Amino acid sequence: MADTAVVLAAGEGTRLRPLTRNRPKPMLPAANRPILAHVLDALVDAGVEELVVVVGYKHDRVQNHFGPTYRDVPITYVRQNKQLGTGHALLQARESVEGPMLVVNGDCLIDSTLVEDVCQAFDRGNGEPTLAVLEGPDARQYGAVTVREGLVQQLIEKPQTDEYRLINAGIYAFDDDIFDAIDDTPREEGELALTTTLAQELDDGRIRAVETDGLWVDATYPWDLLAVASEILDHGLTDEPEFDDRVWVDETAIVHEDATLQPPVVVGPDCEVGPGAVVGPHSALGRNVTIGSNATVVNSVLDVDTRIGPGSTLLETVTGQHVRLGPSSVVSGGPADVRVGNEVFEDEALGAVIADRVRAEGNVGFGPGSLVGPNAHLDTGVTVDGQVRESAEVRR
Amino acid sequence: MCGIIGAVGRGDDTLDVLVHGLSKLEYRGYDSAGVALADETVDLCKQAGEIDELRAALEGQSIDGSVGIGHTRWSTHGPPTDENAHPHQDCSGDVAVVHNGIIENYQTLRDELAAAGHTFRSDTDTEVVPHLIEDALRSGADPEAAVRSAVSRLEGSYAVAVVIAGVERIFAARNDSPLVLGVDSDAYYLASDVPAFRDHTDRVVYLDDGEFTVLGPDGWRVTTLAGEPVDKRVDTVDWDPEETGKSGYDHYMLKEIHEQPRSLRQSLSERVDELGGSVDIGELADLNPRGVQFVASGTSYHAALYAAELFRQAGIPAQAFRGSEFATSPPPIGDALVVGVTQSGETADTLSALREAQRRGARTLGVTNVVGSTVARESDHVFYIRAGPEIGVAATKTFASQLASLNLLALGMTSTDGTREIIGALRDLPGQVQKVLDESAAREVAETYVSSDAYFFIGRELNYPVALEGALKMKEITYKHAEGFPAGELKHGPLALVTDQTPVFAMVTGDGELAQKTIGNVKEVEARDAPVIAVTDGKSDVERYADYVLRIPETHPRTAAVLANVQLQLVSYHTAALLGRSIDKPRNLAKSVTVE
Repeated sequence: MADTAVVLAAGEGTRLRPLTRNRPKPMLPAANRPILAHVLDALVDAGVEELVVVVGYKHDRVQNHFGPTYRDVPITYVRQNKQLGTGHALLQARESVEGPMLVVNGDCLIDSTLVEDVCQAFDRGNGEPTLAVLEGPDARQYGAVTVREGLVQQLIEKPQTDEYRLINAGIYAFDDDIFDAIDDTPREEGELALTTTLAQELDDGRIRAVETDGLWVDATYPWDLLAVASEILDHGLTDEPEFDDRVWVDETAIVHEDATLQPPVVVGPDCEVGPGAVVGPHSALGRNVTIGSNATVVNSVLDVDTRIGPGSTLLETVTGQHVRLGPSSVVSGGPADVRVGNEVFEDEALGAVIADRVRAEGNVGFGPGSLVGPNAHLDTGVTVDGQVRESAEVRR
Repeated sequence: MCGIIGAVGRGDDTLDVLVHGLSKLEYRGYDSAGVALADETVDLCKQAGEIDELRAALEGQSIDGSVGIGHTRWSTHGPPTDENAHPHQDCSGDVAVVHNGIIENYQTLRDELAAAGHTFRSDTDTEVVPHLIEDALRSGADPEAAVRSAVSRLEGSYAVAVVIAGVERIFAARNDSPLVLGVDSDAYYLASDVPAFRDHTDRVVYLDDGEFTVLGPDGWRVTTLAGEPVDKRVDTVDWDPEETGKSGYDHYMLKEIHEQPRSLRQSLSERVDELGGSVDIGELADLNPRGVQFVASGTSYHAALYAAELFRQAGIPAQAFRGSEFATSPPPIGDALVVGVTQSGETADTLSALREAQRRGARTLGVTNVVGSTVARESDHVFYIRAGPEIGVAATKTFASQLASLNLLALGMTSTDGTREIIGALRDLPGQVQKVLDESAAREVAETYVSSDAYFFIGRELNYPVALEGALKMKEITYKHAEGFPAGELKHGPLALVTDQTPVFAMVTGDGELAQKTIGNVKEVEARDAPVIAVTDGKSDVERYADYVLRIPETHPRTAAVLANVQLQLVSYHTAALLGRSIDKPRNLAKSVTVE
């Protein structure tokens, strides 16, 4: 059994901008905890005894949050200074690992079933690389895999057609000769992807695949965080105590007796929810979030330290950390056409993405699908639509 | 200030257990270290330098025995040399002793022993102890009685541990220096602090002053020095032994600076209710002090100055005193509450001040980070800052948590105007500290001014303690000259020191009268060509006069001080890093100073 796991947590996740301005994708909220916390839970639940976390982009955020141990399992941090692909990331862990290891992506939500399935398949084999495959999401965004009798036939990165059923879940078990294999892999455009190494290995030998039906949810775009939160709440994957049927409230949170929590909903530590406020369904409040009196928060993920003023209404909203919305702010919800980079996504169920430390004074309106950059200041009574740049000052 | 460790019942692992324990105690002192193990003989190895040098010296030596003691030293008597390192031995080499504290009557004892023919090999006060024991053994006393009689002759502060050839026991006693036992099923430990044996057991017994203990393979017992049995409670400590790792950072100090959002959350958690506009400080809310006197040392003293201002703002007479001064020349206390602020809860100067206050009948309150510490046990009341363990000698996150906790005390014990607003500001604080950490320009400032002759820090009211703390941090870890002043005091003397080689850090928050007056002082130094670094929330126009700006979020003046301090911590850290200093263990300093 591989009792060491290498967790790749160095990448920014550029398609999730502006939320990743101050932290890497693994630290974005999956309901009310970072995605990476769920990944580490899956590993520890599966019996992993040593964690090696590869950090890079905004590494402070990972190190500060988790510190030297997670649930009494020691964590070693190794640094990937330039993000040159997953193979390059794994290579950074070389000095910290001996013998067989698990390798997982830190930015994709999983449960322990997947980890256990890969471990068992690896143990049945003879040290061959082993990976998890699963059915479901559109293979065109990920890597497709064809499998026969437990062995990988083909690995196709981001296939053009939708003929493939199984995708690579990004959960692997390797022997430590994987490092030599990565060394021997030629760089493609300066990058070393783990899948390139695996494709090469496939020419020389066998790669085992195990089909699994564990939980696997990836967030590619900011609105996916709403889906991730729903998934977590529907599976009850929160570590807060269950206060009422599918209503999870931390013991340190203060919820006014006249506030309404509609299941499923989770309220994190030190939160305060004022009288007359309605939170949920499908909403998650991170640590130290304040919901003013008579505010309504539906289908939303509000991250750490966010403060929502009295009488505000938020539908399908994702906030970063320490966002402050004044009284009577309104996010009226999707559907919306959202532009990310050069792509336009149509009819997404997104009210607004409001990045870290945005400050909106009172009575601010957010058009459907607004993306507001970090540190933007929205003056009283403005209405924003589309994209607002980082640190922008918006006045009437 | 030193660290002690002892272990019984670990067989062949004894040496490893001792050396590992010493490495966990290194924060207490680190200019020399040593171990002694006893079986039929006492084997000893000691070495000037850090623990690694002891490890190197142990290579290839055969040091064995099933009971042992170890010590890491921070010099008080005599320079850090191999001879002055502990353990110390008697003339025969059969007795080995480690000691933390200061033996005040050592000169008398030493003269007496020397006259009786004993040969001294070191300059330390400790060495009198093994010779006293040797004398008692020679006159026929059994080992335990010999140690008791030797210890009973000591005056001053001590935690001592003794091993004797042919005796499978450790004898130890405590007076005014910390000592705690670790209890496992078949092994027993003693140490100055829990981390030394936390990897082996979580069950502990805190010794009190005047107690004597004997650890053997068959168990432990505690008596008074005279031999009366004492009933001791076994406590359980709950922190994780790994909590103290570096988490991938080069230095504990940088890790701890970055941990401030988290430690502030812990300090405030469950203690503030913004909706209700109230704070929960338990029974302390009923103390209703008519006056408050704070006693503290070092960084904690700066927190005390800040706290005194908070109480004064609520109309309660309050002052801050340095522990060492209060202990020897206390002011009239009247019916004031005496509050000792100490991170470790073991700071000797602060403890003596609190004891002096107790002797005069005052009520005392300890504000500390360490559960079960001496201050927590001896004070009438205790309030924990809950910052988590701090390893870097320079206090960072514990200072932030002290400020937050003292705000809670001030709000809970007084009726302060704008309580709800302050609670809101406190709840905003962790996120705002994170913003400062994410966006600070401190590194650039450090690079620009790394070769300056001296650094000055100025501020008014709540920013005055921050100025002092900024200067202290700079001194501690960069070894550069730095001073903090109340901004208005600059022109009454220190201005003579200001040149174009002395950057001045000015804390200017808000845009009220205080800010305007401080800006006036900034102009004074500007006129002497000194570079000015403004730490500001941007409300005033101080930026016009500044060479650099270290920006903090707009907030309440009380929390602005915490944020300004984070910027100064980062400047000191980066300056020290550029200079290649030993940041986590600056020269001549120790984490918690348990000698007066």
